[in-house]
Amino acid sequence: MATAETPTGTLDALPDSLEKTLQSLDVPIEQIRFAVQSDINSSGSYGEEWFVLTDAAIFTVTGAGEVLHYIPYRSVLGIRAEVVVDAGLLVLETEAGTVDLIRYSNGCAPKFGFVARFIGDEIEFRNGKRDEAPIWDYKPEDHSCKSCGRLLPDEYSPCPACTKKHKVMLRILSYIKPYRGRAILYTIFLIVGTVITLMPPYFTRIFVDDILLLSEVPNVVPEASETWLGEIFRGIQPLTVALSVAVGMLLAIRIIGTIFLIFQQRLGAWLTFRIASNIRAHVYQHLHNLSIRFFDKRTTGTVISHITEDSERLQDFMLEGLSFLSVQLFLFFGIGSMLFFMNWKLACFVLIPIPIIVFGASWFWRKVRSLWHRAYRRRSKLFDVVNDSVSGIRVVRAFGRQRGEVSRFGAANIDARDYETHAEMIWATYYPPLMFAVQFGTLIVWYVGGLDMLTGGLDTPTEPMKLGTLFAFLGYLAMFYEPLRYVSPLINWASRSMTAAERLFEVIDSQPEQFDDGALKAMPNISGEVKFHNMTFGYESHKPVLKDINLHVQPGEMIGLVGHSGAGKSTLINLICRFYTPDSGRLEIDGEDIKQIDLKDLRRQIGVVLQDPYLFSGTIAENIAYAHPDASMEDIIAAAKAANAHEFIVKFPDGYDTEVGERGGSLSGGERQRVSIARAILHNPRILILDEATSSVDVETEKKIQQAIDRLVQNRTTFAIAHRLSTLRNADRLFVIEKGKGVECGSHEELMEQKGIYYKLVETQREAANVRAQAQAVER
Amino acid sequence: MQNENREEQDTRTTDAGAKPEPPEPDDFTPRYLDAAELTFTRAEVGTARLEIEDEVCHLRVVVRQLTPLSNPEAYISIAADEDTEIGILVNPSELAPESLKIVQEELDKRYFTPTIQKIYRVKEHFGIHEWEVETERGRVTFSVRGLNQNIKQVPPARLFVTDVRGNRYDIPDYRELDAQSYHQIQRHL
Repeated sequence: MATAETPTGTLDALPDSLEKTLQSLDVPIEQIRFAVQSDINSSGSYGEEWFVLTDAAIFTVTGAGEVLHYIPYRSVLGIRAEVVVDAGLLVLETEAGTVDLIRYSNGCAPKFGFVARFIGDEIEFRNGKRDEAPIWDYKPEDHSCKSCGRLLPDEYSPCPACTKKHKVMLRILSYIKPYRGRAILYTIFLIVGTVITLMPPYFTRIFVDDILLLSEVPNVVPEASETWLGEIFRGIQPLTVALSVAVGMLLAIRIIGTIFLIFQQRLGAWLTFRIASNIRAHVYQHLHNLSIRFFDKRTTGTVISHITEDSERLQDFMLEGLSFLSVQLFLFFGIGSMLFFMNWKLACFVLIPIPIIVFGASWFWRKVRSLWHRAYRRRSKLFDVVNDSVSGIRVVRAFGRQRGEVSRFGAANIDARDYETHAEMIWATYYPPLMFAVQFGTLIVWYVGGLDMLTGGLDTPTEPMKLGTLFAFLGYLAMFYEPLRYVSPLINWASRSMTAAERLFEVIDSQPEQFDDGALKAMPNISGEVKFHNMTFGYESHKPVLKDINLHVQPGEMIGLVGHSGAGKSTLINLICRFYTPDSGRLEIDGEDIKQIDLKDLRRQIGVVLQDPYLFSGTIAENIAYAHPDASMEDIIAAAKAANAHEFIVKFPDGYDTEVGERGGSLSGGERQRVSIARAILHNPRILILDEATSSVDVETEKKIQQAIDRLVQNRTTFAIAHRLSTLRNADRLFVIEKGKGVECGSHEELMEQKGIYYKLVETQREAANVRAQAQAVER
Repeated sequence: MQNENREEQDTRTTDAGAKPEPPEPDDFTPRYLDAAELTFTRAEVGTARLEIEDEVCHLRVVVRQLTPLSNPEAYISIAADEDTEIGILVNPSELAPESLKIVQEELDKRYFTPTIQKIYRVKEHFGIHEWEVETERGRVTFSVRGLNQNIKQVPPARLFVTDVRGNRYDIPDYRELDAQSYHQIQRHL
């Protein structure tokens, strides 16, 4: 019987009816170790089926309680979770043969995968092939919101349902604080500007009622005006003077309004860009403090879009959307109250078309947006076709496929044309009716207002409406309905911008790499002793990549890391750089736990040379001096000399001032590599990491690089990864990693004598080299 | 013109005249299996067993479709395990009925992708689309995240929908769905 620790709890809770069925089979329920539910039955339909592990046997049982398989645990030799197309299959190797045990959909694959690994490890442990019993540490992946339980639309995004839009808005506004004075000024401008916008129709009213109409009936004693300003104008004689004064006032108001608008918009731009750039700077600064894990979970594209697109979206909204929204909101209520103030009965009629406009407009925008989106996708597909065939133009010509490519483009082109036409035609069909609905209100005012003037009073014996009031009403009405058409896209815009802002704040809120609690030890001069003690680590803690690593490296020693790809070599290096911290066990540098060492000190004394070295845009000299921007020209030349880089740098017309271009594009692979070695030499690290430093260059260049590396590694603790084992010939010791475990360690000669994994690797490479050599000989 | 004609004739004569040499067994010439020589049976533990007449018996064979999307009925690769192909069966319908049944069962086991026959509803809540559909494997509800990346269109009208748990669903031709189903998805296309 397996002596492994019984997992506490079950993966899925077994229903009572099934427990009874199993008990009728003489399986005391206490003995059930765990049960896992599948969502597919053995005939391949959706249904319930259970995998049950007891102390003595493996069962599968249907949801109805029918036992399908009953296999004694002892007879199980192996287990694996086989991946088939869009589903999985748990397969047992038993003494009787291979058994296809249970089927499950991709959704259940993680838990069955874990079960297979756990049982497999337990069988190995039982057979003495494993030292430790497997640990039950199943953690289901969960991408739903912690507070509302909804699935997140993007795994690492904040929950849109729980995002408190107003809180985000408040947080954005908190960035205004440093510019409080200007923000207040801006608000004043905004209010004054809006009030001025409201003036012209008011003057229309005065023009008509208090000036122009008076000339029609010069002999009648004018009745009192309805407005105080009108009253003043009535006092001015002759009417031409009153007219000039009124026009002059309107002109003045217009000029003032224009001036205010200029200041308001200038100030708005000033504020918006300050706020957006401050948020951006905050996010970017924070980004560099985040742990590497943050970047593991996200693609480079996501991170870049975080800082560029999201902040741009936020900025656009703040610049245009926010002021538009606030002005329109202000206008809407301003005009609304104006209308009611002028004639509340007529104003009530004005409200009638509002629901139609709002609902019609939001329906319209939804429809049009999805159509535009479809058309946009067709268009980008079209560009893909162009991109595809232009990038592959040589292949197209070589295979004589020009016509095929042209017809492929033709098909995509027509597709795009059709969708775009459709979208535009739908727009053309539904936009005019929407406009009509907006103008409908005007008709109501003409009719009801006109009727009022003709018959005198809206069914009530009050004063009939005046012509000027009617004109003013119509003037306001146009402004009143205007914002309603854009309610729906504006709300959408606002909500998307708030989500973008939330994503930015999420970066700011993420845990930084190092807590500055003052407990970390400063180590300005490390000697380079590195010690792994029973160290285990996995990117996800239930999948260890490195297991129980033990290795003691003396200062100045060179260690070659050997193993198949995926064995864990790069992970080991990531841990030395402290991009991650070990899950268990210790990693010590100079006898100090790496977790306790000040990161700045640690990283200053670690240097890396990678397979595809990353050079930043700038000159060669700047790149060599990347870690020490104040290095003297002599230091830079010395480093370049030692790296065998000086010889090609002098040949460039611009010498050390040569711009390397984006990612070092203007240099060849070997040249870039040597610049990066010079960079590492100048950095003068105590611990050096070489990750496939010589794999992508020709033989001649490799020799030069190897020479440079030989100079670089002197007196430094070095960890080198290389697939070509011959490049590790200078290593003092080789550490062979197999499936996350350190399996062999020793010098080349020692390991060759052992005839273990290293020996096999060397032999395989030798054979491959021989085959290549023969092939080359035949070619010649 | 004349040249082409003569060439065509030439080929025809060579075709008729030359006797095809039996291919040398090697690693890179595909082996096509003769349906008449194959017998599939169920082993006691339930796995598919293959006997090739006068040759060998494989205890657990793996069947794979070479063209699962364009022509799932033909070109079946039969392998002794995940890595060792025994040969290719061009037309499984030539097999004896019992053998054919086992091959089909094995294919059904390997190719799970359910085909959506009817769409009851697609509803969006905060960027997650809830689908409720009928498939040949039964009725099922699943969630799809952001439709763009998770609905893949294979021209002209085939759709593959991937849900948040990694399950994939097939709509062979969305134009052939009933009106109600079509209506549910047409705005997402």
